Amino acid sequence: MKGLLLCAALALTASAQVPYDLIRKGPGNDWLTYAGDYAAQRHSPLAQITRDNVPTLVPKWVYHVEKSSHLEATPLVHDGIMYVTDSNQVHALDARTGRRIWMYLDGQAKRSDVNRGAALLDDRLFFVTSDGHLVALNRKTGAVLWDKEYADTKKGEFATLAPLAVRDRIIVGVSGGDTGNRGFVAAHAAATGEQLWRFYTIPEKGKPGSETWGDFDVQWGGAATWLSGTFDPDLNLVYWTTGNPWPDFYGGDRKGDNLYSASLLALDLDTGKLKWYFQFTPHDTHDWDAQAWPVLLDIPIEGRMRKVVVHANRNGFFYVLDRATGEFLRATPYVDQLTWAKGVDAKGRPIVIPDTDPTPDGRLACPNIRGASNWMSPSFNPATGLFYVPTLEGCDVYTSSTKKGEPMKGYGGTGTAPSGDAKFYLRALDPRTGKKRWEYPMTGLATMWAGTVSTAGGVVFFGDDDGQLVALDAKSGKHLWHFYMGQPLTASPITYQVDGKQYVTIASATDVFTFGLFEPAVSVPLVRERVEP
Amino acid sequence: MKTRLLVFVMTALSAVPAPAQDQKEPEDVKNPLAGQVAAVTAGKQLFVEGCSGCHGTNAEGGRGPNLSQGDLIRGATNRHLFAAIKTGVKGTEMPPSALPDEKIWQMVTFLRDLTSPAFDSHVAGDADAGGGLFFGKAGCSTCHMIRGRGGYLGPDLSNIGRARTLPQLQESLVTPNAKITEGFRGVTVTMRDGKNISGVAKDNTNYAIAVLDAKGELHRLLKQDLREVVFRGKSLMPADYKQKLSSDEIGNLLAFLSRQSLRPPDLKSDSTAGTKEDSK
Repeated sequence: MKGLLLCAALALTASAQVPYDLIRKGPGNDWLTYAGDYAAQRHSPLAQITRDNVPTLVPKWVYHVEKSSHLEATPLVHDGIMYVTDSNQVHALDARTGRRIWMYLDGQAKRSDVNRGAALLDDRLFFVTSDGHLVALNRKTGAVLWDKEYADTKKGEFATLAPLAVRDRIIVGVSGGDTGNRGFVAAHAAATGEQLWRFYTIPEKGKPGSETWGDFDVQWGGAATWLSGTFDPDLNLVYWTTGNPWPDFYGGDRKGDNLYSASLLALDLDTGKLKWYFQFTPHDTHDWDAQAWPVLLDIPIEGRMRKVVVHANRNGFFYVLDRATGEFLRATPYVDQLTWAKGVDAKGRPIVIPDTDPTPDGRLACPNIRGASNWMSPSFNPATGLFYVPTLEGCDVYTSSTKKGEPMKGYGGTGTAPSGDAKFYLRALDPRTGKKRWEYPMTGLATMWAGTVSTAGGVVFFGDDDGQLVALDAKSGKHLWHFYMGQPLTASPITYQVDGKQYVTIASATDVFTFGLFEPAVSVPLVRERVEP
Repeated sequence: MKTRLLVFVMTALSAVPAPAQDQKEPEDVKNPLAGQVAAVTAGKQLFVEGCSGCHGTNAEGGRGPNLSQGDLIRGATNRHLFAAIKTGVKGTEMPPSALPDEKIWQMVTFLRDLTSPAFDSHVAGDADAGGGLFFGKAGCSTCHMIRGRGGYLGPDLSNIGRARTLPQLQESLVTPNAKITEGFRGVTVTMRDGKNISGVAKDNTNYAIAVLDAKGELHRLLKQDLREVVFRGKSLMPADYKQKLSSDEIGNLLAFLSRQSLRPPDLKSDSTAGTKEDSK
């Protein structure tokens, strides 16, 4: 009898849980991790919404997040419940109706910043507070299981990212590189919050790589880790990007390549040891963080199937690397306006055009400070073979100063001023060749931070620069549908299915919008309701 | 916002004109007795003798305002609290006090203790024994969870020492029906096939209801599939703790609950002016 009970309890738990193996499978009806799957392809197998019926997509519900400055979260969905984060808070919603089931708010957090989302694992939800606490909640009730401070606000560290839940651990990074703080990637035990390992993105003095900083104090070199990462279960490698070196615009005091800033790191999941790295922009002086998604693909390159990682970098090049070894395979410009380098050499190092560094009087360079792309999520559709990436064509005048900066004082070695109009496009790149197959131009002020989601229905959804969710034909880039949400978009859409119905969700500045195929309303009879004394 | 609130409270307390926005408020004075347990006890005694006639025995209000909740005390500086007791509040029935300064500071200390999060209050009682009661004889953990241990139906209490004042904790423990927190109302729904589901209603509209049951299963139900919804009029929280537990045991339980904090005490708290030196 006892055995039977245990069995029943296990069965019950298993259905409601989010085991690691389920996340590994990628998105089915659910959306279980920020980027859809560990490879960050953001491609859903759902095909109820197709290029033929997407014109009948209508709003199903809107959830308002009170006092939000702007939502940047990718929602997660499991078991009919949607999880959305904002600064120091998590909202659990009925994914069919948008009604709130529970909310967690950390009123004691010492900082308030944007938040990009949560992670699910087993019966738990994980998120970070702005002041760098990793928090574990019961997925169904929002009850807090543990709260672990992992970043130090006194050192200028803070947190905005969606954690990455892998196997039995939660991987986090840290913000604050623009005021000097030294970045790190850390793994914490999902069960207790205990730190398992921590990898600093700038090697300490005397360790390999530290010689790329000259005499600079590497404690304040930047290279933050503010975006979540990806994971290859077979190679057991976590891929994480690093930010710009500090001070952002003046490199005279940090002579050398400044490892491992503006790089992609491949870290062993078990130990946090660096397996390989690839630096996209050595000695960056344009604030071109490498924070764009490292997307894992298995594709033919020059006739041979390769396990690669592709990366649309802020510096204007679209990279393809071997993800087991870090070997450079190809880099192609994916913007027309690229003035700082004439290409890359055989090892992928940019061939920098002389006199493109910022100066006290200002110097024009393209891409602009936001970069050719940024943390907005790209997606990949295996059926079309295309990689969809929000792309920005723009230039800035970059200025610098030799004034010695003090860390944590908001000094970046000065900054930028826009030069001419910048313009967003959704570009479809073929990762096998690096060539652009089509593009969809956007109107707007070049201020959005919205990404994409790809679906097996042959539709790619993205947030545009005017505050509209747009559906395009994934193959041709032809417009199929759009909806204006009245607010700027700073998040990426997802898609999921509950009770046999497919939905598409995106957060606008202060609201979560969910869309589904049109169905005529059905009258709902009032149910008898009473209060027992 | 903070400044405006503070200005409002100061005006209410001292009936002096609000300072201009750009005028800098002088640095607050230090309460010489801040955090001293003996001062809390003495201040309470003085309060019962001299203030409770208008403000109520537990400062819950009467002829005078409720001092135990809201920002009337929490938002005020030491300077204004002291002045309001010493010189009274012009234009109101609040009279001046002839007590020596030390006794006035004792009352300020008591009021601070009363309105701080329970975690920062002086709570007499054995917190360890209270923990034993919480997870044992008192049965609290049947419904409430602390750091993942306990039941699903009641609010999570992992940070309750920070989220509530001591009087609020006392009220919830001894008179639970005074307020039922939204999302924790008991409910039984009957499905069209006659099956019943009981738990707490996390949300309820004319079209859907979400019920969390005692096993932690969430039932997201559409009203079209239901026959009847019956809410409990009373809180699910037992109302007989006063009879079931001795006053010492209630004290122990309150001591335990007041220690529940997710974050360690922050000595460098930059919260409202005037409370700095009261942090422990």
